[in-house]
Amino acid sequence: MLRKLALGGIRSRFRDYAVLFSGLVIASAVFYMFMALATNTKFLTSNSPIGMTPFIFGFGEVLLVIITMVYIVYANTFLMSMRQRDYAMFMMLGAKSRKIAQLIFIETVSVGFLASVVGVVIGMGLTGIAGNMLISMLHAPAAHFAVVWPPALIATFGFFLLMFVLAAFVNAGRLLKTPMLELLHASTLPNRLQQKPWKLIVQGLLAIVLLAIGYWSMTQLAKLQMAAIGIALITIVLGTYFLFNALLVWLIGLLKKNHAYASKGLHTFTLSQLSFRIRDYTKILAVVAILFALALGAITVGLGFQNAIPELANTQSAYDATTIDANAATQQAAAKLTGVTSTTRYTQKVTAKAVVFDQAQITARPLKFVAYDGKTSKHLSLTTNADLTKNMNEIASQLEQFRTPADAQRQIKIVPHAEYVALAGTTRNIVTYQVKDFGANYDAFDAMFKAQNKQLHVTNTQLSGQKMATYGLINEMFSGLAFMGFFLGIAFLAMLASTLMFKILSGASFDASRYLMLQKIGVRPGLLRRSVRQEIGALFAFPGILGVIHVLFGLQLFTTMLHDPYHNIWIPFAIFIVLYGVYYALTVWLYEGIVIKKDLAK
Amino acid sequence: MQNQPVVAVNGITKTYGKKNQKQFQALKGVTFNVQPGEFVGIMGASGSGKTTLLNILSTLDRPTSGSVKINGKDVTALKGDKLSDFRAKQVGFIFQDFNLLENLTARENIALPMALQNISHNKQVEAVNHIAKTLGIDAVLDHYPTELSGGQKQRVAAARALVQNPAILFGDEPTGALDSQSAKELLDTMTSLNQEQGVSILLVTHDPFSASYAQRILFIKDGQIGQELVHGDKSQAAFYQEILSTLGTFQQ
Ligand SMILES: Nc1ncnc2c1ncn2[C@@H]1O[C@H](COP(=O)(O)OP(=O)(O)OP(=O)(O)O)[C@@H](O)[C@H]1O
Ligand SMILES: [Mg+2]
Repeated sequence: MLRKLALGGIRSRFRDYAVLFSGLVIASAVFYMFMALATNTKFLTSNSPIGMTPFIFGFGEVLLVIITMVYIVYANTFLMSMRQRDYAMFMMLGAKSRKIAQLIFIETVSVGFLASVVGVVIGMGLTGIAGNMLISMLHAPAAHFAVVWPPALIATFGFFLLMFVLAAFVNAGRLLKTPMLELLHASTLPNRLQQKPWKLIVQGLLAIVLLAIGYWSMTQLAKLQMAAIGIALITIVLGTYFLFNALLVWLIGLLKKNHAYASKGLHTFTLSQLSFRIRDYTKILAVVAILFALALGAITVGLGFQNAIPELANTQSAYDATTIDANAATQQAAAKLTGVTSTTRYTQKVTAKAVVFDQAQITARPLKFVAYDGKTSKHLSLTTNADLTKNMNEIASQLEQFRTPADAQRQIKIVPHAEYVALAGTTRNIVTYQVKDFGANYDAFDAMFKAQNKQLHVTNTQLSGQKMATYGLINEMFSGLAFMGFFLGIAFLAMLASTLMFKILSGASFDASRYLMLQKIGVRPGLLRRSVRQEIGALFAFPGILGVIHVLFGLQLFTTMLHDPYHNIWIPFAIFIVLYGVYYALTVWLYEGIVIKKDLAK
Repeated sequence: MQNQPVVAVNGITKTYGKKNQKQFQALKGVTFNVQPGEFVGIMGASGSGKTTLLNILSTLDRPTSGSVKINGKDVTALKGDKLSDFRAKQVGFIFQDFNLLENLTARENIALPMALQNISHNKQVEAVNHIAKTLGIDAVLDHYPTELSGGQKQRVAAARALVQNPAILFGDEPTGALDSQSAKELLDTMTSLNQEQGVSILLVTHDPFSASYAQRILFIKDGQIGQELVHGDKSQAAFYQEILSTLGTFQQ
C-alpha cells in the first residue's frame, strides 16, 4: 500500500522529478568528465609540460567535490520538499515511522543510484564527443586519453553513492524528528531576514579580506608554488559565499526599506521571492559564481594556449613553409593551402661548396626572417650576403629551410647576378608560402612537410628549418593544455547551465501557484514577466559579475606559462557572455511558460 | 429607465470536461442582475455551482455559453492587459481558499493591489492600517500567512479585496472559517461598505446568518436559480427565519 502511495507521488509530480533527475544526471556526468582527466595521471603528465599538473587537478577535485556536494544537498532538499508532505500524510494516516524511514532511505538512494548510472553513461558519451572533437580541432596528440576510464567510474559511483546514502540518513532522521505540522507546511515556511547588521558587516568584511588574499595568492604562484592554489581555492570559495550572503541580505533589506521603491508595482513581491529562501539562494549563487569563473577561466586559458602555438611558432620562422624542387606530392599538398597571403619564388644553384642565390632575385624579393630574443620578435628583410653574415646568429636555423641534408657542408650565399648566371651547378626552384592562419592549414602543411622530408631524405625533421617543425613541437607542448582547458570549460559550462536550470525549475511548481494568484488579483502579464526577468536576472547577473572578476585575477596564475594571458581576452569573454545571455533568455522563456498562464479562463 | 446593472448575467452555462471526455454541466442557464449598490446573497447546497458561477463573474473562468456584463462591459470578451486591469480595479474578491501569497507578510499581501496601481507608500500604509483595524488584524500585520489562523487569513484576504474600494465585491464563503464574532465584524464591514460607499456585493454563503445581511438572496440548485428571496422591509431576524425555512423546503 505504502509503496503504491509513494509511486503515486512520483507520478503526480513528474515534471519536478524530471528536473531533479536530469539535474543529478548532469552533475554526475560532469563529475565523470572531470575525473576521466583528473584520475588519469599518465594522460596529465604526458600532455602537460608543467610538472604540477596532477596536483592542480587534485585541487580541482576538491573544488568539484564541494560544488557537487552543494548541488546534491540542494537537490536533496528539493526531493524532500516534494515528498515530506506525502510522508507526513502517510504518518497521519497511521504509517509506522520505521516504515517511512525505510521508504525514504530506499527512495533517496535509488534516485541517487539511478542518476549516477545514467550520468556516468552520459558522461562517457560527453567525454568521447568533446574529447575527440577537441583532439581533431587542436591536432592534439592527447596521448593516454581514455573515454572509458575505470578509476573515474569508481570515483563517480563511489562519491555519488556515498553522498546519497548520507543524504538518505539525514532525510530519514530529519523527517522523523520534525514535527508533523511543520512537515505539512514546510514548503510555505518563510525565511525571515533577521540577520543582525553587525553580522552582515563582519561577513562583508571577511568576504573582502578573503577574496583579497585569494586574488593576491594567485599572483604569487612563483613564490608560493602549490600553496598559492590551495590558498586561493579556500579563500575564494568562502569569500564568494560570504560576499553573496552579506551583499544580498543587505541589498534586499535596503530595497525593502526603501518604501518609494518597494511599494511600487511588484517590487515587494520580487524582493520577497529573492529572500524567501535566502540561505539556499546564496549557496547556489556562490556555486554558480565559482562555476562561471571555472568555465570562463578554463576556456580563456585554453584559448590562450591555443593562440600561443602560432604566436610562438611565428617567432621561429617568417615563412610558413618553403619547398625545394617540390615533387608532385608536395605540390598537391601545397595546392590545398587556403588563405595564402604570399608566395615567392627563387632559383638557387647548388655548387660543390655552396648553395647560391641570385642577387637580382633577392633584391626584388628580399629574404624574410624573424629575430627573437625570447621576449620580442623583430622581422628582418635581408637583401645582401653581408646582411646574412651579420645576422647569422638569429637566422642560422631558419636558413636551413633553403638547404637539404645533402647540402650540410654547403654554405648559403648571395652572389651578383652576372656571377650567378656564370655559375655551374644544378638549379633548384624554391617556393616560400605565407598564409593567414597556420592552424587552419595544419593538415596541408603537415602533408607538405612529410612529403618533402621524404623526398629530401630529412631524418632529423627538427633541423629542417621549417615552421611546421617548430609548430609541431610547440603544439605538442601546448595543445595538451589547450585540450584540458577547453574540455574542462565544456564540462563546467554544462554544470553551470544545469545548476542554473535546476535552481530555477525546482522552484517553478511552488512559484506557479503564486503567479497564478497574482494573475487572479489582476496583475498584468507584462508586469509578471518583468518580475520573472528581474528575479532570474539577479540569479544570472550577480554570479556572472563576480565570476568575471575571479577570472580576471585568476589569469595571474598563468603569467609564467603564457606570454600574455590577458591578450585578446575580450574574445572568450564576449563569446561566453553572449552564450550566457542566450541561456538567460532561454531560461526566462521556459520559466514563464511554466508559471504564467496565457489565459486564466482555461 | 432604470440604472444600468453592475452585473448582468444572461443565460450562462458551464460544462466541465473536454468534448470527448466525461462532461459535467455545472451551470444550466443562469440569468440575473445585480443593481448598483445592491447586496446579493447566493445560497445553495455543496456542489450546486456557486463557486463556478462566481469564477465566471470574476473573469477567472469563461462560461460555455451566455454573457456576463459588468458595468455594461461584456467581460467574457476582455483579454490581456485590459482583463488584468479590470480585475485589479473593478472587482475585489475573497476566495474560498484564501489565496494569500505565502512569501509576503499580511501587510504586504494587503498592500499589493495598491502597489500595483503605484499608490504612494504613505497612502498604502494608511489604507492598510485602516482596513486592518476594521477587520481586527492590526496585531498580525507583520506575520506571514503560515503564522496566521484560518480566520485571520480569511480576514487578510478580505482586507486585500476591500482595500482598493472595488465597484463590486465577490465573496466566496468569506465567513466560512470565522467564529461568529469575527464573521459578524466582517459582515458589518461589508454592509457599511455597501451602504456608505455604495459598493455592490455578491456573496456566496452556506450560512443563513451571513445571508441575512443581503438585500436579496438567490438560491441555486443543480446549476440553476431555483428561488429568490427579498429582504425588503423585514427585520434581519425575520429575514433570517425566512431563509431558514426556505432552505428547509428548497433543499429537499
Ligand atoms: N474543474 C472542474 N472540472 C469538473 N467538474 C468541476 C470542476 N469544478 C467544479 N466541478 C463540478 O461542478 C459542480 C459545481 O462545483 P462548485 O465548485 O461550483 O460547487 P459549489 O457550489 O461552490 O460547492 P461548495 O459549496 O461545496 O463550495 C460540482 O459538482 C463539481 O464537482
Ligand atoms: Mg464553492
